[in-house]
Amino acid sequence: MRAAPLSECRVTVRSSGAATLWVVLGALAFPLAAQAGDTPALSDYTERELLVNVFQAHCISCHGKIFQKGGLDLRTRESILRGGDSGPGIVPGKPEESIVLLRLVRDEMPPTFSLLGDDGYVRRVNAVDIDKLRAWIEAGAPSDPVEKPATGQELHGDSSDDEADQPFWAFRPPRRGDPPAVRDVNRVRTAIDAFLLARLEKHGLSFSPEADRRTLLRRAHFSITGLGPTVAEQDRFLNDSAPDAYERLVDRLLDSSAYGERWATRWLDAAGYADSHGKISPDRKRPYAWRYRDWVIRALNRDMSYDEFLVDQIAGDELFDHSDPDQFTSDNVARLIATGFLRMGPDDTDEGAQNHVEYRSEVLADQIEIFSSAVLGLTLDCARCHDHKYDPLPTRDYYRFSAIFQAALDPYDWRVPSEYLYAGGRTLELTPEHRRDMPFGDPEENRVVARLNADLDRQIKEQKQFLASKTAEYRNQFVEKKIATFDEDTQQLIRQALEVPLGERSDEQLTALEMIQEELSLHRQSLRERSQKYCVETDPVYNAMVNNLKARKPLPAIQCLRDTGGDPTPTYVLKRGDYRSPGARVAPGVPAMLREGLEPYVVSPPNWSSRTSGRRLALARWLVQPGHPLTARVLVNRLWHDHFGRGIVATPGNFGRTGMAPSHPELLDWLATEFVRSGWSMKTVHRLILNSSVYRQSSRFDRARHGVADPGNVYLSRFPFRRLDAEVIRDSVLAVSGRLDRTPFGPPSGINVSPEREVTTQFNAAGARRSIYMLRKRTTPLTLLSLFDQPLMQPNCVERARSTVVTQAFQLYNSAMLRDCGDHFAAAVIGAVGDDSRAQLTRVYRLAFARPPTAEELELGVGELAELEKHWRASKPANEAPPPVRKLALATFCHAIFNSSEFLYVD
Amino acid sequence: MQFSIHPNFFTLTDLYRPISLSEASLSQTNEHQFSPGRDCLSRRDFFSRTSDGIFGAGLASLLASDLIRPTRVHAATATRTHDLGERAPDFEPRARAVIQLFMTGGPSQVDLFDPKPALEKHAGELPRAFLDNVESVGMAGGLLPSPFKFRNYGVSGLPFSEILPHTSRHADNIAVVRSMWTTVFNHGPAVFRMHTGQTTPVNPTMGAWVAYGLGTANQDLPAYVALDDPKKEVICGIRNWQSGWLPPVYQGTRLRSIGSPIVNLHAKDEFPAPVLGLARRLLRRLNTHHRDQRPGQPDLDARIASYDLAARMQLSATDALDLSQETAKTRELYGIDDAMTGPYARRCLMARRLVERGVRFVQVFMNCTRSQNPWDHHGDIEGSLRHSCGETDQPVGALLTDLKRRGLLDSTLVIWGGEFGRLPISQLGGSAGRDHGANGFSIWMAGGGVRGGTTHGATDEFGYHAVEDRVSVHDFHATVLHLLGLDHEGLVFPHHGLDEKLTGVEPARVVREIIA
Repeated sequence: MRAAPLSECRVTVRSSGAATLWVVLGALAFPLAAQAGDTPALSDYTERELLVNVFQAHCISCHGKIFQKGGLDLRTRESILRGGDSGPGIVPGKPEESIVLLRLVRDEMPPTFSLLGDDGYVRRVNAVDIDKLRAWIEAGAPSDPVEKPATGQELHGDSSDDEADQPFWAFRPPRRGDPPAVRDVNRVRTAIDAFLLARLEKHGLSFSPEADRRTLLRRAHFSITGLGPTVAEQDRFLNDSAPDAYERLVDRLLDSSAYGERWATRWLDAAGYADSHGKISPDRKRPYAWRYRDWVIRALNRDMSYDEFLVDQIAGDELFDHSDPDQFTSDNVARLIATGFLRMGPDDTDEGAQNHVEYRSEVLADQIEIFSSAVLGLTLDCARCHDHKYDPLPTRDYYRFSAIFQAALDPYDWRVPSEYLYAGGRTLELTPEHRRDMPFGDPEENRVVARLNADLDRQIKEQKQFLASKTAEYRNQFVEKKIATFDEDTQQLIRQALEVPLGERSDEQLTALEMIQEELSLHRQSLRERSQKYCVETDPVYNAMVNNLKARKPLPAIQCLRDTGGDPTPTYVLKRGDYRSPGARVAPGVPAMLREGLEPYVVSPPNWSSRTSGRRLALARWLVQPGHPLTARVLVNRLWHDHFGRGIVATPGNFGRTGMAPSHPELLDWLATEFVRSGWSMKTVHRLILNSSVYRQSSRFDRARHGVADPGNVYLSRFPFRRLDAEVIRDSVLAVSGRLDRTPFGPPSGINVSPEREVTTQFNAAGARRSIYMLRKRTTPLTLLSLFDQPLMQPNCVERARSTVVTQAFQLYNSAMLRDCGDHFAAAVIGAVGDDSRAQLTRVYRLAFARPPTAEELELGVGELAELEKHWRASKPANEAPPPVRKLALATFCHAIFNSSEFLYVD
Repeated sequence: MQFSIHPNFFTLTDLYRPISLSEASLSQTNEHQFSPGRDCLSRRDFFSRTSDGIFGAGLASLLASDLIRPTRVHAATATRTHDLGERAPDFEPRARAVIQLFMTGGPSQVDLFDPKPALEKHAGELPRAFLDNVESVGMAGGLLPSPFKFRNYGVSGLPFSEILPHTSRHADNIAVVRSMWTTVFNHGPAVFRMHTGQTTPVNPTMGAWVAYGLGTANQDLPAYVALDDPKKEVICGIRNWQSGWLPPVYQGTRLRSIGSPIVNLHAKDEFPAPVLGLARRLLRRLNTHHRDQRPGQPDLDARIASYDLAARMQLSATDALDLSQETAKTRELYGIDDAMTGPYARRCLMARRLVERGVRFVQVFMNCTRSQNPWDHHGDIEGSLRHSCGETDQPVGALLTDLKRRGLLDSTLVIWGGEFGRLPISQLGGSAGRDHGANGFSIWMAGGGVRGGTTHGATDEFGYHAVEDRVSVHDFHATVLHLLGLDHEGLVFPHHGLDEKLTGVEPARVVREIIA
């Protein structure tokens, strides 16, 4: 017997709806409905489409890995057939006896409330899918045709997609060659010089002359620490006549804590660091992101080897059993913090409306994009929707790679990135198993926060009680007033009705109560509109309560990534990237094109626990093999890029065919292998670069020499002349004004957003902290920094732009902070050298430009100071107290210095 | 404000004169072969490195005569320069400027532009298929007839709701697209989709693409301006006018409609005039001295020029937004002095003044003091929609009148619409409102080559689903670019190894039916 078309079933609407819900029908010319009424054709993919779009998307959080409510597991065809306490889930060939289908059709499932307690955003299984499920059951619930089992070869790299013979250079291991012979051997300090010089000589060029010592000093300081040299540091270096004075300077700078603060900025760019979730407007804060920032700074300062650096960030959670409190040593805590790397992408799934498969999939995709551009130097995301058009990267490889991360970022088994879920104006507190963050084990920190919150909670409770009783009191007054407007009988009826408990009232009583419905449902907002007195009595308490709620601190936690507990949902190739169109099922794996000289990617879950899949740990181990074609190359290239403004591969995030070819391939390979040989030491690479002649040459452009043969400075025939980075400009302004607070680490420092929406630094008594310690919300970047090209993290940045735009001039010239710093700069100079104009100018030049003024500059400057002083004096009315015109004049001069090109650029 | 500066290219011209790029080297496709020497500069290699704009601008102006532009695609990838100099369109444009009246939140089509009598007949019924696309299922009520009356206006008889008395006067200039549809029904992603063609927040907006494609006529003002509520930020904030991965020079500039139009246009506590004059001379002295010692660094010229431009802009931006220059009659026309219409009126009038001065693309956003999504009428559709129309209808009508009488409407494309529409069913809880609807909604366009007095496409009998002549967001973008004289297939930018375009990879169609 053929079942009645489901589309004719009438179902009762849930209690919250007042309309008659009827399922569509033909009665109305209604396109979707008509479509849904047809019997859908089954395809080879029907089983997996239903598993993904019906069961994974709507059911498995209650009927799956963690919970099997009613004894039911809806993850596979077999488990659905098996069913639960009420019998089989489906009966092949008999839709009308298939409980699962009936529950969906009757709209009894999914429940209105999600597991998280969120009632506004539970999506229904759509009509098309329900019809498809019915058709599938009717057809006997056939399995999809069996795919050819994947062989090891296919999982770890089959050759069918690759070019027949020679793989692309970037996909083969680096080959270390000997540095070439050059004519001008005197300029060769390191192997780097030999590679570069050989190329220069081929074009009739050589290095430019060595830069003078002051230039080198300023350059090295900015390069390594992001701050200019202080006067004392200038004296120390310039008075050091030993032949290795420069090399020792480099060592000194690399040993300073400022090194980590400067270079962490670069890694955080690549990781997409932000202190907020991004995407949608609330852009909620990530209260613990800073721990990851501090971890990076510390790792760089102690020159943690890059292989360890990567392993911790990719799979720190899979290195120990984090479910065992005894293993929470400080080293292991640091490993968990490091996995924050894979939590940096924008993620707004703490918003109920965004907590759905398509948005979760975007979070996963962003994280893959961050990872692939930052670590692999590949544009993997192209292959999300189609086979990569240029690199041998089929879509299948994208989803294999995606499966590695899906074990933790599973769109069908999701963890919310916040402590709360924000759903339609309600804030739902989440239990630990639904959160990504992990409670942090530092007992002292916990105690402090708990004490603060306990105090606030007590106040909040009292305030809530007060408000509730006041609201009830006023509501009753209005109810009474309303009742008094009716005749005696009605009044009595209403009063009786009110006495009867909810649910036991007769229809007559219910009707009576409708007359005072409006008054009965008065709440805070509507009472405020009705009664001024209510406002006066309750607003102060309400506002105090809101402030208390804001002041509540979340219990410390670690923003980390953890496996969802092993056994992740299956990963399919998604046709055209559409999460509703699953194709072939894939196992986790790495791009097949990367295999030469590499041990294959093999997943072996750790012995100590079956609660983690080991997929990311396997990726980390695979990446840090010494002969990996990309790991070392991509990193040394980015360091090179940051020192010279252009990478050896000029597209640092794209080593594929559409990226640019290396200008010096042999040098790249030599550096990459040297890096690995040094024990993956980043400081070694910095030292090598800074001690090379190429780094020490002058930046002067010589038209006759460079204009024809190397106009774009591709061969580095001179040091690249460049503007300072945004953070370096800000930090330098603060430093020379004596306003830089060097306090390291900890939660980020605050920002102000003006009514004009200028985002500015909050100053404390000691000034303001380095830019890396400032709050970095995606939607409110510091205006000064974003104008000078600090990237917006969407999701990350491996190569900053450098723009010259007029708003930079407005910012530097007119903003209050720069004017204020001009005053402080002047005061600091006067404090140091007194009232003599020449001494003042010398101090200003040395602090700002790391050089004294020339005799001519001194003369001009003295004259300008005198004239400024004259104008300042003239501009003040005679009857006012004499202004400190000399200081004002110097402050005006100092403000001009901040705007000068010499301050903003490095030779 | 993102202006790239035209430096004095004299030194640069000198510098690069010796290079000549042969067509052979330019058209080489084997770009991963890095061959050294002067022939190494394939166009794409060369220009993809000029990310700071200044360098590129100089070179491109210099090389323009050398470069043959076989197609616009090549022109875009190779010779596009990162400045705002005016550039020729692909073909004769119908519009020179765009004013986008962006109605954030999702205005209800069945209450404004798309009358549906069937809603009366089936009031209270709820077809099951609606639930597939309802965010809050528990709140879904039955079909809700519009509380507003529709009438036909103008010679064309275009129907408008009674709550648009000013806009409807321009019926014969307006083309209503009733068959818009989009892919998502949450505000954030849908706003991104409407601005950038994609639902993710990283891509360039239409205004940025237009600035990139056409530059601007007036170098003392931005090419692309956003006028938003200065008191409260609209949803997605500054990303409504971001340049995404296009160079920052194409980003929209937010001008404030009260107080100083640009942050730090003027110092809060300015130096006394003589001191300021002297301080500027001092800075120029420092910078020219520094520049003169460093030949071949065009960025330093640009840096100096940026300070000159800053001084000019203090005047030009202030002047452009000075509404006191307008007559009392004009102020009255827009409703500037009325508390209800005032804020939006100011921004509409500013939009006209900017377009008049050569600004290419102006976005005007709603007041957000009530909500970050001002057209998001989940409750009380009758009262709240009436309110939103009350804030905007008169200013919008006045803008059209004003543009027309100044002869600007023919060359200015005015676009009205939000990120999606609303459902024909009611949303329960409180007084009846409507939930988001993405499957079918209306926008309108006027001026700038648009055929007035027309409707295009249709939704089903309830106004739920676009069924006839469906217009995607990409189609809409293609149409706007077309009216500006730009071929949407040719306006591309190389990014992550792809030639990206506003209209994405799915085919997009110019809606020629609404073009005069």
